[in-house]
Amino acid sequence: MSDWSTVTRPIPVPTEWTKPFWDAAKRKSLELQRCQACGHFQHPPYATCTKCVSVDLKFEPVRGGGTIYAYTIMYHTGDKRFAPAVPYASIIVELDAAPGALLAGNLLGVPHTEAKVGRRVEVIFETLNDEITLPQFRLAALQPAE
Amino acid sequence: MWENRCKIAVSGVGYSKVSRAADVPLAAHALEAVKGAIEDSGLEMSDIDGLSTYPELPATGHAEVDGISVVSVNCMMAMLKLPSLTWHMQVGNNNIGGAVQTAAAALLAGLCKHVVVWRAMHNPKGTYQNLPGAQAMGPAQFTGPYGFGGPGQHMAVAYTRYLERNNQSRDKMVTLALAQRKHTQHNPHAFFHGTPLSREDYFNSRMVAYPFCLFDCDIPVQGAVAIVMTTAERARDLKPKPAYLASYGQRLHFEVAGRIGSLANYMEGGASSAKLTWERSGFSPKDVDVAQIYDGFSASVIYGLESYGFCKEGEALDYIQDGRIELDGELPLNTFGGSLGTGRIHGLWHIIEGALQASGRAGSRQVKDANVSFVGASAPIVTGTTFIFTREPY
Repeated sequence: MSDWSTVTRPIPVPTEWTKPFWDAAKRKSLELQRCQACGHFQHPPYATCTKCVSVDLKFEPVRGGGTIYAYTIMYHTGDKRFAPAVPYASIIVELDAAPGALLAGNLLGVPHTEAKVGRRVEVIFETLNDEITLPQFRLAALQPAE
Repeated sequence: MWENRCKIAVSGVGYSKVSRAADVPLAAHALEAVKGAIEDSGLEMSDIDGLSTYPELPATGHAEVDGISVVSVNCMMAMLKLPSLTWHMQVGNNNIGGAVQTAAAALLAGLCKHVVVWRAMHNPKGTYQNLPGAQAMGPAQFTGPYGFGGPGQHMAVAYTRYLERNNQSRDKMVTLALAQRKHTQHNPHAFFHGTPLSREDYFNSRMVAYPFCLFDCDIPVQGAVAIVMTTAERARDLKPKPAYLASYGQRLHFEVAGRIGSLANYMEGGASSAKLTWERSGFSPKDVDVAQIYDGFSASVIYGLESYGFCKEGEALDYIQDGRIELDGELPLNTFGGSLGTGRIHGLWHIIEGALQASGRAGSRQVKDANVSFVGASAPIVTGTTFIFTREPY
């Protein structure tokens, strides 16, 4: 299992347009940008709705359950900060509540070999500092039959 | 069909030395390639009246210094002081394929007569793809904290989705790596010329970002390549046999910046560019005699083969088996070795090979009866451009 205890992650710098996402994460809540015209959720945040081009967008809470949409296992240690954790799983998650929105994360708490497309995950939160808390993922208790 | 098909030709190609660590500034390499292309065409420097490039350094976290890590149009103008210069263009978003397409448009518009297009690539000291520094800004705020740095990692996530959704195995990719390295042995300009690759080498190599092992990634190098483009009419009076530009296309699809892991982004990007190229030329994939498909990372070839229409979605890893992509196969592929063989110089080398095969100038790697030569000059997700060169105008 990857040892993350000595890894120093790059700290996200929120902008005016992404701040609600990070403010929510600090409260241990997942909020995604939602189009107020057509109801479409999207991530990463964008200037317009990627479905209907409306500019009326607000951040709304979503449930943190989803599936692994894609993943990679990182072995390269070019950036020494992540070297203690290799090999580790970086995953892309599609949330049940926000089809089409894709969130990056690490698969925590299990060996990297547990990352597979289609496996169920749920959001957890990793506090980086007083300002920034990172949404992360762990395997859900219930998995689909394989 | 496109009314301008075969009205433009490639009439000269040039190369610099390609190495891991250069002993001269990048501008000197670009100059060597440009001079080589002009000499190959039989033209004089004073005949060149157009310049076009895409200069960006794809490495992350390194400074861009003109003449050292990039070679801009300004840099080339300053070096060459061309007396006849009438047109120049530096493109961004469309990558080097866009620089070639824009040069073709300028020639068709009569803005210039002989254009040189070059691509110069630097290999910075230290790690090529750095993560963001202490802070992750812009789109990287949602990816950098999880370890995502360069494009290889971004492409790796789409590749796991591709493999697992299509019940495919990464082991099949060894066929591509071996075939291309074999082709590389016919290309004396390539970085891996003289260095064979075995099945054992591939499977024993270190993993970089699963499913990509070392030999799924092109090696960062310093070097440059260049071409001379002119109108077909003028090209017929020049030294080499022309490669006629039958058609080209560009990607017409893009998902949100920072969106990661989407396979549709590759497939729709590639399909949209190829559709333009097939329609403008009147050809279809079954007419193609030889293909060059951008291979900065091996999976790009797979997405290219499928999205351009050479085989069905999910089947490219089977399509490349059984000798099909060898020099005497049904679809000889990346016959110059690809970026996996030459080193990371981007898609202008794919365009060069497409042109050389069409004009019958590919030497010991020449594909027999290569009348229709296809090029996918960049990864369809980022900057997809596609081209067809033909031996004869039609």
